[in-house]
Amino acid sequence: MKTFHLTVARVGENLFDGEALSASLPGSEGVFEILAGHEAFVSLLAKGEMHVRAANEEMFHFEISADGIAEVSRNQATVLL
Amino acid sequence: MALKDIKTKIQATERTHKVARAMEAVSAVKMRKTQSVALTGRPYARAALQILARLSGSADLVRHPLATARDIRRVALVILTSDKGLAGALNSGVIMAAAKAVAPYATDAVTVYAYGRKGEEYFARRGYPVARAFENKKDTVEISVMEELSAELGDAFTNETYDEVLVAYSNFKSTFEQIPTIRRLLPLALPDVTRLIEDIVPEKGRWSDLRAVESVPAYSIEPDSGEVLAMLAPRLVAISLYHMLLEAKASEHSARMVAMKNASDKSKEVAHDLTRLFNKIRQAAITREVSEIVGGREALAT
Repeated sequence: MKTFHLTVARVGENLFDGEALSASLPGSEGVFEILAGHEAFVSLLAKGEMHVRAANEEMFHFEISADGIAEVSRNQATVLL
Repeated sequence: MALKDIKTKIQATERTHKVARAMEAVSAVKMRKTQSVALTGRPYARAALQILARLSGSADLVRHPLATARDIRRVALVILTSDKGLAGALNSGVIMAAAKAVAPYATDAVTVYAYGRKGEEYFARRGYPVARAFENKKDTVEISVMEELSAELGDAFTNETYDEVLVAYSNFKSTFEQIPTIRRLLPLALPDVTRLIEDIVPEKGRWSDLRAVESVPAYSIEPDSGEVLAMLAPRLVAISLYHMLLEAKASEHSARMVAMKNASDKSKEVAHDLTRLFNKIRQAAITREVSEIVGGREALAT
């Protein structure tokens, strides 16, 4: 399966930085999933939990407390919590 | 100089040496801490700024209240300095750069927000109105402080109290190099954001491939670009400010450590020279006394 580069960061803290297989996020318009080759996309995030499946099949979970934002372009995804 | 004076001076210099060495050690620890905070904060700031930079390809940014450019009549200056001196040319560099930046405006058209006492003192003494003054004592910085300040500045900018907000701080390049920098915080504009990203992204190494900010032609945006910008723009102002403060902190401790290292090296050298002088004078006195005794004896013998 193809991977994409994912960065998950909070102010002053880097939570995840590496290759991932998939990530599911609670968007303001509903939960969505990012896979490799996703179209260029920006979304606000709602409260909830995000799940990341890293390239080595390891799972990561992050809490999204307040407004966050996710951006995808050129097989790179950036999530700011 | 009498022997006793030299001895006192040697002791004083040695005390100075001890103090300088202790301060050097303290600064070295703080430097490492603040440097690592500044460096770990960079990916976040870079990512956030990059999203904005890409989004601003759309016309919506221009219409955002925080991005509206108008004729500049009143300016707010945020100056980030340290509370304490003994950091070499760090503060004076930042203050000089800031003074130069606001020089074209009348004194009462500039409002100063000072973080750190050195900047506050300088501008207060020259009759600039200081709206807010924060102490820059703690080594850790809460982003909430910067959020509060940026909200205040954002409001004042939106209701046209200020037409431009400038920030003066020292950008951390390395332990030996800090550059006094002036950045425009408001109105938000793409060239300023790009320049800030360039400052954040190192010239070589891990993140350097991200230097270029390419704009992506077609984004699909949820819910819509207006709402994304409404959330992102104020946050970016806070992040930029926070980022600049982290840089300023890392610069302060680096500069102080280097200054203290120079001071302790120099005081050691001075103490060494003085000890030489002391020995020489003492030896001269002994020689003189011996020759006096010998001379006296010879006078008696004849």
